[in-house]
Formats: sequence, C-alpha cells, structure tokens
Amino acid sequence: MRRYGPAVLLALVGAAILRVSLFSELYLRYVQEGLRPYLVVSGVVLVLLGVVVAVLVRTDGEDPEHGHAHGPAGPRVAWLLTLPALALLLFPPPALGSYSAEREAAQRAAQGVGSFPALPSGDPVDLTLGEFGSRAVYDSARSLKGRTIRLTGFVTRGDGGTWYVTRLLVSCCAADATTAKAEVRGADAPPVDTWVTVTGTWRPRGALGSSAAWPPVVDVTSVRRVAQPDNPYEKR
Amino acid sequence: MENRRTVADGIRLGLRAVVYAVLGGAALIVVVTVGSVLGPLLALDLSTPPVAAWWTVFTAITVQGVPFLLLGTVVSAAIGAFVPERVFTRLLPRREVLAVPVAGAAGVVLPGCECASVPVAGSLMRRGVAPAAALAFLLSAPAINPVVLVATSVAFPGQPEMVLGRLAASLATAVVMGWLWARFGREEWLRPPKRSGGHEPGGGPRAFVSGLQHDFLHAGGFLVVGAAAAATFAIVVPRSLLEVFTGSPWLSVLLLALLAVVLCVCSEADAFVAASLSGFSPTARLAFMVVGPMVDLKLIALQTGTFGRAFAVRFSAATWVVAVASSVLVGWWLL
Repeated sequence: MRRYGPAVLLALVGAAILRVSLFSELYLRYVQEGLRPYLVVSGVVLVLLGVVVAVLVRTDGEDPEHGHAHGPAGPRVAWLLTLPALALLLFPPPALGSYSAEREAAQRAAQGVGSFPALPSGDPVDLTLGEFGSRAVYDSARSLKGRTIRLTGFVTRGDGGTWYVTRLLVSCCAADATTAKAEVRGADAPPVDTWVTVTGTWRPRGALGSSAAWPPVVDVTSVRRVAQPDNPYEKR
Repeated sequence: MENRRTVADGIRLGLRAVVYAVLGGAALIVVVTVGSVLGPLLALDLSTPPVAAWWTVFTAITVQGVPFLLLGTVVSAAIGAFVPERVFTRLLPRREVLAVPVAGAAGVVLPGCECASVPVAGSLMRRGVAPAAALAFLLSAPAINPVVLVATSVAFPGQPEMVLGRLAASLATAVVMGWLWARFGREEWLRPPKRSGGHEPGGGPRAFVSGLQHDFLHAGGFLVVGAAAAATFAIVVPRSLLEVFTGSPWLSVLLLALLAVVLCVCSEADAFVAASLSGFSPTARLAFMVVGPMVDLKLIALQTGTFGRAFAVRFSAATWVVAVASSVLVGWWLL
C-alpha cells in the first residue's frame, strides 16, 4: 500500500487545487484572479500524474522511485503536502479580515501629489478603497469634491466611536496583503467584519499629501449590508 | 537445526513487534494527548482570528507556489530524461577559469529548484567536469533560470530592476564561488560523489515520470515547510519588532539573509515570500532571494549527503558571505 503513497499524494494535491480553482471561486481568497488558468492546468496535470504513477506501480509491481535514499513511500517531507491539501478540501481557510487589517498599519501608497484621470460620470460612482484613498490624499485637482461615491469593504473599529470601511490590497497572494480604509461618519457602526457598501460624500481634511489627510473621511447617507464579494481583496 | 532457526526467527520477530508496539504506542499517546488538548484550540479553530489568518497565509503561499513548482519540475525532469549529460561536458571550455563563468551562465538552461541541482552537479563531477565549474552551476541553476526569473517578475510587478538585480547578484555569487573553489578548494574536502542520491541513469518517458513525481513531491514538501514558517513569522512576530529591523538597513539585510537560510523556501516560490515581507528594504529582499536558492538548511542537508559534511559546512558558510556581499553591492547599484 505504501508504494501508492506518491500517487495518492499527487492526486490529493491536484484535487485540492481543482476544488478551489475549477469548482469554486475560493482561490480568490488566496491568490489573484490571473493565476486561475495556471491553477486549473496544474491541478489536472497533478491528478493525471498521480494516475500514471499508480498505473506504473501496479503494472510492474516496481515502485517508480529507483535507488533513492528515501524508500518506497517517496520523500518523507512530501507528506507535509497533505496539510494544505486537506485544509483546502475540508475546511478552506477564510479570507483575511479585520485581524490582519488591524495588525497592518494602514499604508498610504507612497506617491506624490498630482492630478488624476477624470472620474467616470454619473452618481454614485463606485470606487475601490485604494483609489478613494489615493484621490483623497494626493489629488491636486480634488476630483472627489461634490461627487457621491460608493465604497465596499468590511468594518473595522478605531479608537473612541470611530469606525472604518476597510479592504485589504493584494498584489500577488494573501501573504502580501496591505490595508486601505476610509473613516465613516454619520452612521452607527455595524459589527466588526460585516461587509458593507457605504454611499456618501468625501469630507476633505488636512493639507494635501500630509499625514493629517489620512485616513480619508466619508460622510455617509446610507450603509447597506452586503455579502462578501467573490474577490475579497483589491488589486494593489 | 531447521527448527532452531525458526524459533530464533520467531523470537526476533516477536521482539521487533514488541519494540514497534511500545514505540508506536508511546508516539500515538503523545500525539493523541497533544492533539486532544491543543488541537481544537490551536490547529483547527478557524473562529480564532490569528489561527484563521495563519491558515489563510499558509495555504495562500502554497497555492501560489504550486503552478510554478510544477512547471519547473516538468521542464527539469524532461531535461534530465531526454538530454544526455555529455552535452553539458562538451560545451564547457577546458580551462577552469573560463569554464566557471560559462557553467554559471549555463545555469539559465536548467529550470529546476535547488533540490534538483545538487544531484545534477554531483553527476557532472562524475562525468569529469571540473568541480569549480560544477559548483558554479550548482549555485546559479536554481537562482537564475527562466522559471525563477518569471516568478520574480510576477511577484514584483512593475519592478524589472528586482529581476535584473537577482540575476546579476546570483550570477556574480556563483562565479566568485567557483573561482574561490578553483583557487582555495581542496580535493579532500570533497567526498567524491558516489552513485547515490541521484536519479536512475537512463532516459525515456519512465525516467521522466519518475523524476517529475520525485522532484515535485520533494520540493512541494519543502515548499510547505517554507509556507508554514513564513505564515508563523507573519502572525507571531509583532510588527513593532520587525520595524526595529526595517529601520536599520544593515540589520535588515543580515536578518533576511538569515531568514532565507532558516525558511528553506524553494527558489521557484521564494520571490512570493520576499514580496510578502513588505516592510523591508528592496536590498534586504534581494539578499533574501539571492541567499535562499544557494544556502539553506535543506540544501546543507542535501550537500552533506552528496559531497560530505566537510564540504557542505565550508562551502555554505563561504557562499552565504559572498551572497550577502554581492546583493548589497548590486542593491546599492541597481535598487
């Protein structure tokens, strides 16, 4: 039975990858959208490889692993692959939320003050929290002024009664997440980690590009609870 | 006579069963106790935010690494199975001083991670390639091959200087180490690699499947180790402590160069880990990516197995110093 170890492992890892990339959108909790085709191909290749290895073991009773130091069960360290594989199959870990956002001091994208491309017309205009923050702190043309904007994120709490609508920005995988957030005024705070869509207007504060302008503030007229979006992160 | 042997065999078998039962039983009791006391609390309780975040970061690094790991092992298994090794020997210049940079640059063509390059370097030495050249190849192959460079550019979008810096610093380290070996290296440190630790000679589809499954599982296991260490590091180490080091450019370079040794992340996935260490200076992250494929705990183990301990200790220590120095120089120049 141990001779089938490598085959089972390969198929298990392949199945786990396919479960989050092909049969669901769960991969978006961990990596960026662009990786999906590669994940699907990898999953298929791994499952096929597992089958081929199993057939080879079965047909000539000889394990496909020749004269190597770690015996018929394959490299022992490989069994660690069962950890992430079983995790993905049995209890896919949730998207990062307020815990990670609060550990990570919200970072302003380091950039200079300048002008931004015009916002699309029509109110309310949907913005990512990253874009809202950049425009609020760095836009010399003040393109947010007088516009009704809509932001989607989860709830985090600050000192006193303040609360924020927050989103994690990911450039590659969840391990490199950084935080973008906007302070919400004019509405009571929903429970932490609730996903909300807030609609309102930007309230300018602080000098342009200074740390007093951060985090940006939004005066809201409505706070609506929403389901967690398929992609819980924003692309950095 | 016949009978006595049977009895002796029976006793030996019985003893072995008892030993197995005692050892296995003790291990099982420990696992079950620890598991039942701590398990629900620590390992599986996804409602505890730090635990959930640990699992998410851990699986994220693994999921991100798998496609690149697979691509790398497919190509390296194909080369191992279908390209005869004499091709490499014929392409190298006879003079050692010239062979070292050529072998270092030749690392570009072997898209494997570091676990694959140790046996290849061993077999190159067996086929009469000068050790200095084989060692330059050993160091450069996992660091500068196209898969690793593509992975680096994906991990650092919009920062081509990071890819260039990695290429330059890694190649420089490999060539300098080759020359150092040619000048100061002693044959007696190097236990002549025996016919072990490598893959079955020969080629064809069977060798391909065998090499592929072995390399993927082996490297995949180490990827999981690296992901777990990186996730633990991200969750356990308080931000403020990291900021102590991120504030000082020299300490942060040394810290990440040591971290690369301890984390043992596969070279095809380490760029993603480096990208996640967002508080550190670009030079420190470059040092992480230059040291990682050349010196880490699993490589020291692999080299000890193939070339002997006397070699592994001296070679790894010297490589670490050269790698840190070259990444500082390249970082100062490029980043």
